[in-house]
Amino acid sequence: MSAPGGGLIGSPAPRRKNRELLTGEGTYVADIRLEGQVYARVVRSPSAHARLLGVDTSEALRVGGVVAVITADDIDDIRIPIRLPFAESPEANAVLQAPLAADVVRYVGEPVAVVVADDPYVAEDAAELVSIDLDELEPVLDPANSTESSQPLVHESFGSNTIGRLAYRYGDIDAAFARADVVVRRRLRVHRLAAAPMETRGLAADYDPGSGVLTVWGGAKVKHFTRALLSRVLGLELTDVRVIEVEVGGGFGTRGEPYPEDILIPLLARRLERPVQWIEDRWEHMVATNHAREQEHDFELAAGADGRMLGFRVRGWCDHGAYVRTQGLLPVVLPMVHLPGPYEWPAFSMDLDAVLTNRTPVGTYRGPGMTEATFVRERMVDILAAELEMEPADLRRRNLIPAESMPFSFMPGPGSGAVMPIMYQGGDFVTAFDQMLDGAGYDRMRVEQRQARADGQHAGVGIAAYIEFAAVGPFEEVEVIGGAGNVVVRAGVGSLGQGVETALAQIAAELLDVPLSGVTVEFHDTAEVPQGFGSFASRSTVLAGNAIAAAVDEMKAKAAPLLGCGPGDVEFRDGTATAPGDRSVGLGDIGPTRGRFEKEGLTASFGGAVCSVSVNPADGRARVDRFALAHDVGRAVNPRLLRGQLAGAAAQGIGGALFEEVAYDEHGQPLSVTFADYMMPTAAELPDVEVTIIEHGSGSNPLGIKGGGEAGMVGSLGAVANGVADAVGDGAEVLTSSVSSARLWHALHRPRRA
Amino acid sequence: MAGWLDPHDSVAVTLTVNGAPRKVRVPPRRTLADALRDAGFTSVRLGCEHGVCGSCTILLDGAAVRSCLMLAVQGQGHTIETVESLTDGDELSTLQQAFDDNDALQCGFCTPGFLMLIEGLLRSEPEAGRDRILEVVSSNLCRCTGAVPVFQAALNALAANRDDP
Amino acid sequence: MKPPPFAYAAAGTLDEAVALLDEAGEDAKLLAGGQSLLPLLAFRLARPSHLIDIGGVEGLDILEEQDGSLCVGALVRHATLERADLSGGWQALREAASLIGHLPIRVRGTFGGSLSHADPAGELGVVAAAFDAEIVLRSLRGVRTVPARDFFLAPLTTAADPDEVLVEARFPTPGTGFRSVFEEFSPRVGDFAYASVAAGCRLATDGLARDVRIALGSVGPTPVRARDAEQALSGSFLDDTAIVECARLAAETCHPDAGDWHADGTYRKALVSHLVERALRRLGAGP
Repeated sequence: MSAPGGGLIGSPAPRRKNRELLTGEGTYVADIRLEGQVYARVVRSPSAHARLLGVDTSEALRVGGVVAVITADDIDDIRIPIRLPFAESPEANAVLQAPLAADVVRYVGEPVAVVVADDPYVAEDAAELVSIDLDELEPVLDPANSTESSQPLVHESFGSNTIGRLAYRYGDIDAAFARADVVVRRRLRVHRLAAAPMETRGLAADYDPGSGVLTVWGGAKVKHFTRALLSRVLGLELTDVRVIEVEVGGGFGTRGEPYPEDILIPLLARRLERPVQWIEDRWEHMVATNHAREQEHDFELAAGADGRMLGFRVRGWCDHGAYVRTQGLLPVVLPMVHLPGPYEWPAFSMDLDAVLTNRTPVGTYRGPGMTEATFVRERMVDILAAELEMEPADLRRRNLIPAESMPFSFMPGPGSGAVMPIMYQGGDFVTAFDQMLDGAGYDRMRVEQRQARADGQHAGVGIAAYIEFAAVGPFEEVEVIGGAGNVVVRAGVGSLGQGVETALAQIAAELLDVPLSGVTVEFHDTAEVPQGFGSFASRSTVLAGNAIAAAVDEMKAKAAPLLGCGPGDVEFRDGTATAPGDRSVGLGDIGPTRGRFEKEGLTASFGGAVCSVSVNPADGRARVDRFALAHDVGRAVNPRLLRGQLAGAAAQGIGGALFEEVAYDEHGQPLSVTFADYMMPTAAELPDVEVTIIEHGSGSNPLGIKGGGEAGMVGSLGAVANGVADAVGDGAEVLTSSVSSARLWHALHRPRRA
Repeated sequence: MAGWLDPHDSVAVTLTVNGAPRKVRVPPRRTLADALRDAGFTSVRLGCEHGVCGSCTILLDGAAVRSCLMLAVQGQGHTIETVESLTDGDELSTLQQAFDDNDALQCGFCTPGFLMLIEGLLRSEPEAGRDRILEVVSSNLCRCTGAVPVFQAALNALAANRDDP
Repeated sequence: MKPPPFAYAAAGTLDEAVALLDEAGEDAKLLAGGQSLLPLLAFRLARPSHLIDIGGVEGLDILEEQDGSLCVGALVRHATLERADLSGGWQALREAASLIGHLPIRVRGTFGGSLSHADPAGELGVVAAAFDAEIVLRSLRGVRTVPARDFFLAPLTTAADPDEVLVEARFPTPGTGFRSVFEEFSPRVGDFAYASVAAGCRLATDGLARDVRIALGSVGPTPVRARDAEQALSGSFLDDTAIVECARLAAETCHPDAGDWHADGTYRKALVSHLVERALRRLGAGP
């Protein structure tokens, strides 16, 4: 392989695109205006659960300017498939979503019809006139009770609200509890959250009957999968479908998966032979785009009096909402693989149910599963620390998997189902943990806490440590095209505002020794990029970056015969391939070269967060005064962008703990459909997040990099909850991930636990 | 007395945008944000359309307002500035440069709204203190950065303006 | 999320506004700053047949003392009010204005619009209740004055008839030495408050509180005067015991019922007590 040294990889190169974005020039999907463009408005279910007796579109069709109205009767009976083979099951495949509801509506916001008009205002007028005849059914709203026999069925034909039960056994759990000196048990709840990027979803689609090409703007995250899906459901050749990514206003896991609209809008463009644009409004976004995180866990933790953690049992219910969407069973698979975390458990036993409720489907949101699992485990570790009267950091350190045990695995034992084995390739958790505490100034935080308490304040310090599995395969392929002093990299990942194009350019520039400004990274158009799996699971820089490294190796192999030397003797210098003795060829003479990086399994990284919190018991307000996080990225390609990613993710997590919640009433009506109700934090509510980057390398890829786009989120809910719990001491039990002022005030004023 | 404009009739409205008069024809219900976007000022971004996120913030007669909370017809005769007006030739403004220096943007969607919000403050309250700046910056939402870097950029830009007005 | 269709007319004068409103019938609405109306239109929760734009009406932005009252015109912007030279007795008004939404909202939002919108969380209605403001309404039928206690009927409902334009509110000038403050709890800066308090009193030379006024917001369908709490404090020192008792009585006055999913009634009552205490301590601490 190329031997990357110092230079550009690891440098805080300025982010590309900034200038365009600062001057307002960036084109987002809503900015696209095509000749003859018409506007779609989706008519959505007003009910959480009802039989759909009929849809009357006649009045809507009479509105001047309306071009078309379609219902389920007008389209083929199709289901949107699961994108990831390891997240599929026959049960999950039985409850996939159709683009338009046909017989039953199962959540408020489910698409029932689409109106197309020559003006978005008119489309909205006409959509109001589509009359939906419903026969109301009881909704299922509580994940933990959804499996009770008294509950109605979300999908009658499936016959159960449980679509999967994962079991994972490791070690002798009964023996662990039998020899325990202390057992703590709690029911913990993780609340429903939304990623809520500032730009809602949107699409523009245009079909050219002459060439037979369908072009779709607004793709993101998994453009190639969307292209293949559209080709299949619309009966078009793969090469006749182009999915183009324009500027994207934030993704965070939810944007860019194929949703019902991703099929409906291209279908309408093709049928009408006119460009169709659909821009989700914010109300729609809050009911139509994937939610995340909601789950409940009964957790029992067994430990010795010396603080050695002996084992845990967990029984959990992970909500999937009304349908399984493209991410399949990830809302139950990911919490499971992240629950054990960085501790050397002798035994554990996990049983997690994937359940259905009559609410918006659940997908992945930045730090998926791992954020929930970390909250649950780390809250329990603090509850144990309180029980044992041990210092929470000491208790954790005592139980971390030691470096000499690496690589480490918790192989599933007898009684386990078909689960992904939990394996850590390497790392030094104890050292990283101490780096985190040092970076945060943990000891000083504790001193300040004591001072604040002496002054009568409710001050707390919270810690969470975690393992993040990221950088999922199977592979990424890139094409590197050299020219005279410049290089074009074509990659199948996407940019969601995270700056991946800058990081990939740095890698290519360093490996080929060209100036950063000479590298162009193209990823916008599926017609120009051979293939790709997309941007999720903090994989883009790891996978595409290593594919660039592979392409560079391949370029050496191709340059060697031109230079009359072995590939090992080829070096890239100043934009040319050189051989000993001053022979050289230009990058352009080597020809376009593909590189492929294949990756099995997931890469585990250690990280954690520490925060100091103050609580006002009079009004229940908790404030995160300081928040410091640490994450092992293997090697930072661009520490400046990385800090931005880590701190931004943490800000979302802090907001999720203190303010944000997707709530429903007792009829399944969504309550958080405005930004006045879904309360994201502003600069006034957030601390300046402090970041410690740990670079413990990784044997699993040539560049030695691990994921970093999501990690800042992972410890946030757990650390904030622990900080709040520490601040209120015996005053209240913190058992939910939401520590809103109202919740906290009630917790503080509830009769105490016996 | 002015007459009634029927719901589906359009009226000509003259807006002065970034120093130049712009005539748009709009029905009464069209929002100022939509009218500006239709006129090509797509830096006016719609993040919520109900006046919370601030992505559509513009300057109206020099003060920051949310263009989704105004009808286009209310803009008649007023002076409007969008982010396109900040750049002098190729040169970023002090404020834009401060955003760049402080990593105050990632996806860029909220950026024009934040720039105009803070530009309004720079002009109307050049002596604003830290608390006031924070309060004003908290008007808008940034989901990528959490907006603390935006606050830092605002602090730097106000300080730079005070040093070199 | 686009507004529904409506007919539109811009009034140049108050007379025109009144005539247009009369002509348009009872499904018409006035548009001033639009900061409450535009979100309602966006969600199509309001569907007026006609909008009469009074933004350009001259003379409605009065802000001055006249005949023993502070007159605040309907078109006074919150941003103007928050920066106005109102201290001492009127400080609650200035503080309340500064807590409405965020600056870009306050730049456009108007005094009359806020009162007419009659959101129970509206800060200015609470101050109007505390000061016994008189609200001046005009229609083709003439001018009438409605005291604040009779003006707010229910959430988003006032005593103004469909043909009436809110012209101004008159806040009777309190006696010398009277001071007032405004306190609220909102989860984030600029959010609708879960509870708010306008409080004022005059500390006589003997140190005893007189002319005590306490009004509460966000804890019922309309602003509430905490009369029992006012009486309990009248004639006593602003000491710890009196303040705590007054705060307790204020919390008992209000009936926020179930509140909403963000903040239930019990919590809101607790906030009232906390906020009244904070407000009274500020009054006790002096200017």
